Amino acid sequence: MRRCSIAATILLFIHYFWSGSPATAQSMGDLNLQVHGYATQGFIYTSSDNWNTTNSTDGSPAWMEAVVNVTAQPQPKLSIGVQARYFLLGTYGNQIKLDFAQGDYKVNEYFGFRVGKVKTPAGLFNETQDIDPAQLWILLPQSIYSVAGRDSTLAHLGGVVYGTLSLGESLGKVEYRAYGGERVIDTADGGLVQFTDQGFQMPTGLSGPVYGGRLDWKTPLSGLMVGASEESDNPSGNITRGTFQGTVAGNPFSTPHVFAQYERDKLMVAGEYRRGTPNDIIRLTGLPPVYVAIDQRSFYGMASYKISEKLSGGLYYSSSLDRKAAFTSARYQKDWALTGRYDFNPFLYAKFEEHFVDGTETGYSITDNVGGLKPTSRMTLLKIGVSF
Amino acid sequence: MKRRFLPLLFGLLVPALCTCAHAQVVIIANPNVAVSSVTRAELREIFTGASASLKEGMQVTPVLLKQGTVQDEFLRLYIGKSDSGFRAGWRSILFSGQGAMPKTLDSEAAVVEYVSHTAGAIGYIGRATPHEGVKILIVR
Repeated sequence: MRRCSIAATILLFIHYFWSGSPATAQSMGDLNLQVHGYATQGFIYTSSDNWNTTNSTDGSPAWMEAVVNVTAQPQPKLSIGVQARYFLLGTYGNQIKLDFAQGDYKVNEYFGFRVGKVKTPAGLFNETQDIDPAQLWILLPQSIYSVAGRDSTLAHLGGVVYGTLSLGESLGKVEYRAYGGERVIDTADGGLVQFTDQGFQMPTGLSGPVYGGRLDWKTPLSGLMVGASEESDNPSGNITRGTFQGTVAGNPFSTPHVFAQYERDKLMVAGEYRRGTPNDIIRLTGLPPVYVAIDQRSFYGMASYKISEKLSGGLYYSSSLDRKAAFTSARYQKDWALTGRYDFNPFLYAKFEEHFVDGTETGYSITDNVGGLKPTSRMTLLKIGVSF
Repeated sequence: MKRRFLPLLFGLLVPALCTCAHAQVVIIANPNVAVSSVTRAELREIFTGASASLKEGMQVTPVLLKQGTVQDEFLRLYIGKSDSGFRAGWRSILFSGQGAMPKTLDSEAAVVEYVSHTAGAIGYIGRATPHEGVKILIVR
């Protein structure tokens, strides 16, 4: 409750502070220094099954974030950016972390690079999945963009090279991005819930090399983009279970995505498919090894429409299936979502979203639902946000 | 009989004239921008952050108006997005670390002043706004 009061206070402070001065940036001299940010407060209610460590069946406001971004552009080709985030969802987060801290040098349209802690260009929305003010949806399709595990997939330590190549008037252009470095999965990451559900703890989290790339083809048909990405990961770390200690490691696995997006006037349509095949071996001293393997096939299709200057609406269907899981409701998840967003002004907005969920694969844990998981649930989400 | 049609004619012409008046947005650039015209597609790419150069390879820097009828008309004519949708796009770029927000100014006079003194700058103003020191780009 205290955390929520702090969240609400921060939200109100930022809103009132900036509502009197709705400038979009604070530029400072030749450094072109800009300070931007946003804050959100969410509310979750589920008809059955607590969601992502919240007491959502009773209605929970334990969902907020506040982000501050500082960007300097001392030269037209050089920019330096730092972004910090406070994130809270149930018992996840509740800490301030760096989203990115990077230097970016764009040589020309064809080639540029970023180094430091940089956002990872995987899939259609990975780099932007956390930017609530820029999204219509409260939750992106959880089959691919799980809100609980996103802190670890958002960024990596290392670099990205990027550029745009023209294919001529009749073929459009291709944007490329390639990246490499190290991924660190925090010990409190929601993506590790499969381990903690079985009584394992990872006191130092997981880490390992990551590399991959993304290609977007902006087709000659105005507004149509078709793309693909692939990423290779190999996380490992220490693990404990009771008094037993050991390691968790696996083979490198790749995660391919294919996606398309079409935007025309007030309409946006998008779809994406991803396959994830992480596999791990847990070796605890004195115990036989435990093998954990997942073969998750996920996809979604979404459409949104700008109904008026201030009101937007959208619908998506999201599905995921772990083909190696036991035949229970935790093997799959199907989710119909209906959403609406109202922009009171360019800086303040509110969102409403209703989910019709079948299956408990993502976001539902047996430790949060000691009485057992029900296979279906409705979820009502509200969010208010302010940005500057 | 003719007099009976005058109000009707007036009623038809006035909205049409108003529409034309609203459409008086011109694209301005620093005189060092070595082109005399741009396409609508180029404008859309430059002002949504999808590109930082014109097809001729000229690097340009967009400058925005904070609000007003010229801003709304520019977005309607050349970007095809509402103000909130337009700013959401820039927020995606900023908060994903892919770039900085463009310079955003309070008045058309300030845009003219900035563009005239900044190499590569490109902006938009109302046609009636004095625009000394900048060049007007034809939109193809």
